[in-house]
Formats: sequence, C-alpha cells, structure tokens
Amino acid sequence: MTEATDLAQRAGDRDPRVGLRAVAALRRLLEQLEAVQVRSARNQGWSWQEIAAELGVSRQAVHKKYGRQ
Amino acid sequence: MFERFTKDARDVVRGAAEHGEREGAQSVGAEHLLLALLDREASRASFALAALGVTERKASVREALGEARRRAGLSRAEADALAGLGIDVAEIVSRVEEVHGAGAMAGDHKDKGRWSGRRSFSRGAKGILEGALRTAAGRRDGHIGDEHILLALTVRPGVPAEVLADHGVTYESLQRVLYGEGTAQAG
Repeated sequence: MTEATDLAQRAGDRDPRVGLRAVAALRRLLEQLEAVQVRSARNQGWSWQEIAAELGVSRQAVHKKYGRQ
Repeated sequence: MFERFTKDARDVVRGAAEHGEREGAQSVGAEHLLLALLDREASRASFALAALGVTERKASVREALGEARRRAGLSRAEADALAGLGIDVAEIVSRVEEVHGAGAMAGDHKDKGRWSGRRSFSRGAKGILEGALRTAAGRRDGHIGDEHILLALTVRPGVPAEVLADHGVTYESLQRVLYGEGTAQAG
C-alpha cells in the first residue's frame, strides 16, 4: 500500500517540463535514428518503396524527406 | 534583419554558416553560432569570453559541443529526461556507432556529398538571432553586436547554453563583464 502511494506521489510530484522535454528529445533521437537506417538501407540498394513499407509510411513521404541528392 | 548587425555580428553569422558547411550539417544550428563566436578576436563577445576565462578553455568548449553532436545533438538535460523514461542515449549511440560507424548519430552527410550548397539556418539558430535582436532592443542598444548573440545563446535552453554554463558563461556573468551589472539586475 505504502509503495503504491509513494509511487503515485512521486509521479504527481514530477515536473511536467521533464516529461515534455523527454518527448521532444525522443522525437529528435527518432529523427536521427530514422536518417541512419534509411541511409543504410539505400546504401544496400533498397528501393524507396521497400523502405517506406518497413517504416509504415508512403513512398512519397520517404522520398521527399531523404530523396534529395 | 541584418542592417543593424555590426561587422563582428555579421562575421559570426557568416562563420556559423561555414562551420555548418565544414561539418556537413543539415542546417546551421545554434552550436555553429557558438563555434563562430569562439573564432572571434577583438570583438565585444571575445572580450567577454576572455574576461570569464574561456579563451584558454576554447578546446574544452569545442570538445563538449562535439560530444553533444555525437549524441544526436541532445543536451545533457535532454539525455537525463530520457534516462527518466529508461532510455539510455549513450547506449543507443554506441550501438548505432558499432554498426554504422563513429559519428553516425551526428547527422553528417559528407560522404555522399549531400546537403551541399547553401545551408539554411535551423529554427534554433534563427531563434538565437531573434533573441539577439530582442536583447539589444531591451538594452536600447542601437546596434546588434556579437555580444548580443552570445547573450542570446545563454538564455535559450539547449546544448550551447549548457556548455557555456559549464564554462562559467551565463546571462548573469556576461551582464557583469559586459555592462558591470550585478546579478540582481539581470534577467
């Protein structure tokens, strides 16, 4: 019981700024990871269609974002 | 926007673009503005940095910026926030580098000759330049000098502000050496 209250209290105490900052940081980390993986796939001869299918987005979206030479 | 920029301030903007280009960065960021500020000599900002003892520690500042770049440009505060979610940024970077090579998470594209040509300024860098304008306006300074860019860098949360603070450069300490104002009047 005490453990649960303790946890709830700590969660309540938590500064929303830290949580929001984590989300923003995660987004940037995600962007970097995506760029690394897309570049690697292209270097291995993957088509935009194949990359898009794995990422779960449209071919146009991937190409627009990374297709510039 | 640049009409009221002093020659030193213009040189910082130009220098930042050169740093971004040299790095093969996607865009010119706030960290490139700081790198360009470190290159300045005999300017208001370089005087302030010297007064705060940063001149001898430029290598340390550059190194800290490089470290942040390697961890996907995340500040320590951001990495700590992610650690709170159980995400170990250092671990992710090291695993990615194991497979894709050192600096893979730094977002460089030099190898492919991509992103060549003129780089645009990132939202962060534009925010710093706007902050410099506001700082100058707030002080009723008729010009925008490189010291205003430096002041703006210490105010906006992110890697440059964090690295500067680690080296004793804060808005307050700059106010003191630039204008002889105490911490009470700062902000």
